[in-house]
Amino acid sequence: MLKILVCVKQIPDVDLVKMDPETGNLVRDGVPSLMNPLDTNALEAALQIKERFGGTLTAITMGPPAAAEVLRESISVGADEGVLVSGRAFGGADTLSTSYSIAKAAEMSGPYDLIFAGKETLDGATGQMASQLAERFDCSQISCCTEIESIENGVVRAKRQLDSGVQTVEAKLPCLITVEKAGFIPRLPRLNSWLQSKNAPITVLDENSIAGLDTQLIGVPGSGTIVPKIYPPQLPEPGQILNEGSMNATVNKLVELLEERGVL
Amino acid sequence: MNKNQYRDMWVYIEKEGEKVAQVSLELCCEIRKLCNETGEKLCAVSFGSLPEGELDKILECGIDRLIIVDGSGYEQFNIDSYANAFTVLSRKYMPSAIFVGGTVDGRDFAPRFAVQLNTGCTSDAMELVYNRDSGDIEFIEPAVGGKIMAVITVPVLRPQVGTIRPGTFKYAPAGRKENVETVHEVIDFPTEKKRCRVVSFTPDYKDPELDIADCDVVVCVGNGLKNKEDLERYRRLAKLLGGKIGCTRPLFDRGILPYQLQVGQSGVMIKPKLYIGFGISGAVNHTAGVDADVFVAVNSDPDAQIFAYADYGIVGDMNKVCDTMIAALEAKKA
Repeated sequence: MLKILVCVKQIPDVDLVKMDPETGNLVRDGVPSLMNPLDTNALEAALQIKERFGGTLTAITMGPPAAAEVLRESISVGADEGVLVSGRAFGGADTLSTSYSIAKAAEMSGPYDLIFAGKETLDGATGQMASQLAERFDCSQISCCTEIESIENGVVRAKRQLDSGVQTVEAKLPCLITVEKAGFIPRLPRLNSWLQSKNAPITVLDENSIAGLDTQLIGVPGSGTIVPKIYPPQLPEPGQILNEGSMNATVNKLVELLEERGVL
Repeated sequence: MNKNQYRDMWVYIEKEGEKVAQVSLELCCEIRKLCNETGEKLCAVSFGSLPEGELDKILECGIDRLIIVDGSGYEQFNIDSYANAFTVLSRKYMPSAIFVGGTVDGRDFAPRFAVQLNTGCTSDAMELVYNRDSGDIEFIEPAVGGKIMAVITVPVLRPQVGTIRPGTFKYAPAGRKENVETVHEVIDFPTEKKRCRVVSFTPDYKDPELDIADCDVVVCVGNGLKNKEDLERYRRLAKLLGGKIGCTRPLFDRGILPYQLQVGQSGVMIKPKLYIGFGISGAVNHTAGVDADVFVAVNSDPDAQIFAYADYGIVGDMNKVCDTMIAALEAKKA
């Protein structure tokens, strides 16, 4: 029986987030939250492994109480339980401290044989969380996985898509895996399980309920990076908008200009 | 931690076979400039020695020191051995910053040694600025889908670790230094401690249509595209112009085009002579990946941000403009 963990994150729909041009703050009001898209592929991979090899699947996330929603979503498609790491002390965390917090919280229900995580998030987009989690779990790591071939004698064999080709690797368990989208298209929940997941119990862990947690290593104090400043992207001087009355004339003008610039 | 005790900046030399990866050279060139400002030394770190021609390329970038890591465990890239070596070396030499190319391997192992060293790690900075007052490097990058620019710093811990995407910085060698110190470090990594091994590798068939990094003309399609079927006209236009098509992240997310064609900060960086963007809003994480001689934008929204980047813009229905362009170009050829 494998013990499988999937790490998921709730993010705002970044395509809908706007920046207040006056204050420079991000306007998130009314912006819907969703499970980070690449996490849905990680969840699907974890579910496939559970079905093929047997085992239990735990979904874990860190965030405000509302982030429990992504755990229920995970349960609705087949995760067995959800763990929410939540508390003010965890706020403002970068990947260094988030990876520590999640790994410490997962120790409570671990150890895990396989850990799945999304390749990167759409909001933070550092793409380094999975590697840092692997280090925190002190485990091997397979990134860009397209296919899990076998799990035998404590070794997982898998294919990875690299820039120039496909690599087959073997890694000792425990192993953290990030997947490519194509092989792991997320399934939809059945209506019944979706309804049931609404009442599924979620384990909530705060900074006081995680054994051996060093509070100096969580939240802001545990973070290696800070964001001292954000600002709207500086736009270059706008160019020339072409309008010659009709579409044909406008396009002809463009073609003429491109010829002058020697790029046609 | 007294951060003033940490000095000199390192660049990890990634190898592709016997060759030095282009991104490592780009980083040497950019970090050379940063070191000139801070008065620190630029040090390249390589696993195993380099063929002479490749070594010359690195020396031309103006490095002050070369650390060559010898010992067992580095025959090919391995997260465990490589991360361990950087941790050991960083503890010994205490560099102020370590830069790693944002390749698949680089992005796997740099965050890991950053955890081992308990320090801050940033990724995908587009610009590096030295802040004299704080003594920190400002890693500047688009965030939240390109809605904002974020300045990220590592204010207390050292070294400051950053992975940087290939193509972000220009390869412009500053020239060779007179005295370059070469240091050999032997760090053996036992085979049994390696938790992952490569069984086999099958090179992909290289589809030239998917290689747009060095293409002279790129026709880029964004989320304004309604149907997959509409793509055909853009392919046709690209072909007429002797170029290829690319896309923005939403089109990859929608499964319309493969990731190799995603242009931008988290995709491929392009530097074409001519770029034409259709139905693209103009988020920085896309435009940051475009370094075009001539930039053309087509969008039905006259307020679309993409027009700020354009030399020439046309406000109108993207499909219609594309069809009209095809007709105009075909008429010229005829």
